[in-house]
Amino acid sequence: MRISSCCLLSLALLAPAALPAQVRYSASLGVLGGTPLAHDQLFQEIEVQQDLAPTVTLGVSFPVSKREFLGLEAALGFGGVTTVEPGYPDVEGPSFTTLSLTGSVDGPVIGPLRYRVGAGLLKYLPEEAGIFAEGGPLLLVLTAGTDVRLVTRGSFTLMARIRYDYQRFTTDQLQFSGFSRTQDVHRLGFGLGVDYSRP
Amino acid sequence: MSRTLLAGLAGIAILAACSDIVSPVRNARYDWRLIVAYDSAGPRLDTLSFHWPRNSVPVKLWVEDASDLKARAREGIALWKDAFLYGEWDARLVDDSTSADVIIRLLQPPPLPAGAIRMAASVEPCFGATDVDTGATRFEIVLPVRSYVFPSLPNDPGLEDCMRHVTSHEIGHTMGLFQHSPDSLDLMYGVPAVDFLSERDVGTAENAYHFTPDMVPVRP
Repeated sequence: MRISSCCLLSLALLAPAALPAQVRYSASLGVLGGTPLAHDQLFQEIEVQQDLAPTVTLGVSFPVSKREFLGLEAALGFGGVTTVEPGYPDVEGPSFTTLSLTGSVDGPVIGPLRYRVGAGLLKYLPEEAGIFAEGGPLLLVLTAGTDVRLVTRGSFTLMARIRYDYQRFTTDQLQFSGFSRTQDVHRLGFGLGVDYSRP
Repeated sequence: MSRTLLAGLAGIAILAACSDIVSPVRNARYDWRLIVAYDSAGPRLDTLSFHWPRNSVPVKLWVEDASDLKARAREGIALWKDAFLYGEWDARLVDDSTSADVIIRLLQPPPLPAGAIRMAASVEPCFGATDVDTGATRFEIVLPVRSYVFPSLPNDPGLEDCMRHVTSHEIGHTMGLFQHSPDSLDLMYGVPAVDFLSERDVGTAENAYHFTPDMVPVRP
């Protein structure tokens, strides 16, 4: 987390001075869904599926070349899980909140389409009970995606975003309960956002 | 920059090598099932399991408002709730005893009703009991389940701790843990002396809530 903070500070202080081009600020709202968070075995298989998670993302990016931007995004997600177990009705809950900070590079692909790849840290915040009761460790998250510029009006651009990310999921409560290793989790999200470019 | 993109995707692919979380083996447990004599013509016993159906959660507890019993009950609920990873059991206090699934009273246990089974925890300076009525067939639990917590030595300095242990212990019975643990370090030991859940208590609760129940709750 200290490293991420240092990166943010460095970007904020150095990048605008180094390149007088546009600094972009972005805000977006979207939903993320993904593969199961965990599997358990208690007489029968239990699968912990994640529900669609509304996610708010704020970002800032600085030009690092004529075409590419280096950016930092903070995202707050509000999700929940559904426990699926043969012979029982599906059970909703517990809910979870995630906070992530990712650094990324984005650049043009074709026309209004831009690619984005990055990496960062993601944390499941502590909840009242259940598998998220103690929160989670800092997880490495890898991201890739595309942004599509839909409409531009002055300094503002309406963007459609598609994001994929990958993490190896576990929580402190799962580890405390004796779970070992981690679960591959792939997530895909869609969102709409606004970019503001400051000359 | 397409090189950067490819490098990023390659990194993702490498790290995305298959990995699944591995669940623990939960064999630290004691038997929780109710042993019911079901044929008066002979000594025939049946061992039956119960847990609250998912659509009954949170279970409704009516707790007598006397001598901090409500506070003790809240502590017990929080304690047991933490035993579960997926929200299998939870409870809340209700004001109307008519709609309660469980009634907990600060009262010396009355004579056992006909057909009911009593689980009693005897600890000085207090004791507790939970009565389960298996109804006309042994495959039912007649609601409400009734628990009693009673201070036998009201001025004893250990009364508060005792009330805490016993209330949590009785809530464990109302959840479906119908037997006592043979280990004195477990909350569900017949003479409870701890106010935390042991690994066996947690394992037993988890097992009970994923074991196919034989009994269903019915309201007369």
